[in-house]
Amino acid sequence: MLGRPALLCALVSVTGALVLFFLGARKERRDLTEAAARALAVTAAFTSLAVAALVSALFAHDFSLAYVVNYSSRSLAGPYTISALWGGMEGSLLFWTLLLTLFSTVAIRGATSTRPVVVSWAGCVLAGISAFFLLLLVVPADPFVTMGEIPADGRGLNPLLQSPGMLIHPPLLYTGFVGFSIPFAWAMGALLSGHADSRWFASTRRWTLFSWSALSIGIVLGGAWAYTELGWGGYWAWDPVENASFMPWLTATAYLHSVVIQEKRQMLKVWNVALILATYVLAVFGTFLTRSGILSSIHTFTEGDTGIWFLPFLAAMLLAGLAAIALRLDHLKSDNRLDALVSRESAFLANNVLFVAAAFTVLWGTVYPIIAEVVTGVRLSVGPAFFNAVFAPLGLAIVALTGIGPLMSWRRMSKGALGRLIRPPMIAGTTVTAGLAIGGVRSAGALLAFGLCAFTAVAIGGEFVRGSRVYRSRQRLGWGPALARTLLRNRRRYGGYVVHLGVVLIVIGFAGSAFKVERNAFLKPGESMNVGAYSLTYEGMRQARTSEKQINEATVVVRRGGSRIGVMHPQSNFHFAQRQPQSEVAIRTTPVDDLYVVVTQFDADGSAAIRSFVNPLTWWIWAGAAVMALGMGVLLSGGRGEVAPASARSPVRETVVVAG
Amino acid sequence: MKREALLVAVACWAVLAVAPAAAVAAPQDVANDIAGRITSPFCPGVTLHDCPSQAAADLRNRISAWAEAGWGRTRIMARLESEYGQEIRAVPPASGTGLIAWALPVVVLATGAGVAFVLLRHWSARTPQTRLGDGPERNSLSLSPSERRRLDDEITAFKGR
Repeated sequence: MLGRPALLCALVSVTGALVLFFLGARKERRDLTEAAARALAVTAAFTSLAVAALVSALFAHDFSLAYVVNYSSRSLAGPYTISALWGGMEGSLLFWTLLLTLFSTVAIRGATSTRPVVVSWAGCVLAGISAFFLLLLVVPADPFVTMGEIPADGRGLNPLLQSPGMLIHPPLLYTGFVGFSIPFAWAMGALLSGHADSRWFASTRRWTLFSWSALSIGIVLGGAWAYTELGWGGYWAWDPVENASFMPWLTATAYLHSVVIQEKRQMLKVWNVALILATYVLAVFGTFLTRSGILSSIHTFTEGDTGIWFLPFLAAMLLAGLAAIALRLDHLKSDNRLDALVSRESAFLANNVLFVAAAFTVLWGTVYPIIAEVVTGVRLSVGPAFFNAVFAPLGLAIVALTGIGPLMSWRRMSKGALGRLIRPPMIAGTTVTAGLAIGGVRSAGALLAFGLCAFTAVAIGGEFVRGSRVYRSRQRLGWGPALARTLLRNRRRYGGYVVHLGVVLIVIGFAGSAFKVERNAFLKPGESMNVGAYSLTYEGMRQARTSEKQINEATVVVRRGGSRIGVMHPQSNFHFAQRQPQSEVAIRTTPVDDLYVVVTQFDADGSAAIRSFVNPLTWWIWAGAAVMALGMGVLLSGGRGEVAPASARSPVRETVVVAG
Repeated sequence: MKREALLVAVACWAVLAVAPAAAVAAPQDVANDIAGRITSPFCPGVTLHDCPSQAAADLRNRISAWAEAGWGRTRIMARLESEYGQEIRAVPPASGTGLIAWALPVVVLATGAGVAFVLLRHWSARTPQTRLGDGPERNSLSLSPSERRRLDDEITAFKGR
């Protein structure tokens, strides 16, 4: 087998890269740094070889490997054999390491605009992180452990993971988590080298955006997977592992906003470095949570001693990061001061306070059970009710700021100018709120959410209209071409607004959950139940058997207002290899609402327990995610030179004051 | 800004006016809500509402039956705690050590907002009033409302390029 020797070679080469990067940084010798970069590339090649060895063992059903036995079987469908690579702890760590070594190699090779000494120190950090993960793969989480006795077949992959979403969701999450190590390493490199100017974040802007985009889409796909596979009618349960992916997303989102202030005004330098440090530490913390078994979660890998290896690594990252910040504090002083309280800088700062408070809330709710157990001796859980209650006000405030922020000017803005710009969105928000209230909506939270969404959508729409108007008047273009030109000529700004519009749509979807209806009934064939405006008639159960599972498929006729509108087929199956029951949800989705039907139990006489939900506006969550992805595409396609650095900009532009 | 403030006041009034009129929850809604507020004794780390096991479905049915029989939330929760212990709660109590769970995020937010406000005041107070348009000469510019509006539009258009 090539797998384990390849991992050992990777560990040796990454150790060499670490030493060479360190010497290159200390002696400021470019030849040593270039040699280190080559050693890092060799590490990536050996890690790729190890991944190829494991994947080929999975496809070849090589049951001499314990990992292949535990996470695959002969009957596992072809595409899901790839999912088995990240379906278990050892494979997922191997995949993580592959991404890390590949990203590190590409980032180091592409760092032409960064000072060589910063690259050397950044390479040192990346090689150190890679060495840690390779050590994990060689010692406690070896994916190439062999079986004493070779079984005829494997245990198969968890049926929940045999879903198209699982082919994309984990790789995207890992891409996001691992991708954040690049800006983290660059920030540390800048601090350690004593060049903590603004170049480090400029050269990793695309990496940050790329990682954030991958994590964002990964989180949404995880929600979609939970919605269609888990059968409890929801998409987000505030599970510790879900939270683990959400926390770095929140701090990274704060960073993406606050770094603009550093870019434009040379301010918040300490804060930005702290945010990227927090993002990376939280990403590793999530990995620790997933693999330590310290918290109960439906997502965790098997409990073992691998998780404990992450604690010293986490502590080292955190302490080294804080020490580096403290060491270079004098380099991180702001070059400018704020001109006025009413300015876009203030809005961005408020945005950061909210995002960081939100990240803290999620972290606190996640670790509270451990703290409570230590203090009181009683193991308490913190469930969705807590998170929804604490997080919703913060989320709504963020939505409001998403609308207000783009209306504000950099440096200062008069109240009169702000008042004029804010009037249309405010009228829209108020009209929507009042209209819905008059129309019979009785949820204060939902009214506020819909009102704020209308406010923000109109505020962002206004930005597009104002931008397009310039092209219409100066280049005599129609609205469509003018809008396209607005978007494409300043992709960072308008791509960001498209992402914000996606967020608004997602919040509309979340707000719809205030009107969720759930009904459960045990029905005999021919009996009916009502859920919301729908009537469901259970017509009977069809049974079938395959080599993998026993299929029990219900036929449910759906009526609305007395008219038959469709037939749904939820299943309650039993997987033989895993000895595990598994519900296959039936969902009838429209932009207005989703009808979601699950069979939770059935009797020999053909009776079935039906769990049904009407989830209003859930469709908008997925639509919003698609719009966000479009915005991310626009952002990522933006050229590096779209926004000139602050020093290169016209002084006239910098001192423009909106009269009022 | 006065008109905008009036609009906000109207919106707040509309929200507050309708909020108390929320309909009384149906027994099954009460049961579903409680199931979302307790940890499943059968699936570690998952609420009873989300737990897929048969035993969880049975317990959800029992809670539904209690709600149908007219039991209030407090009585149902007390019954569940007497059967499964305090650990069944998936929401920290708003008293004792549980209060810290609720209060700390608020404290962090308030502290963050306070620090940000103080920093903003400090930074803006230290800004020298020497740049073009920042000083007293700016106030001496007498622009008519239409000129002011045009200037705003031009600046916005300029930013939009």
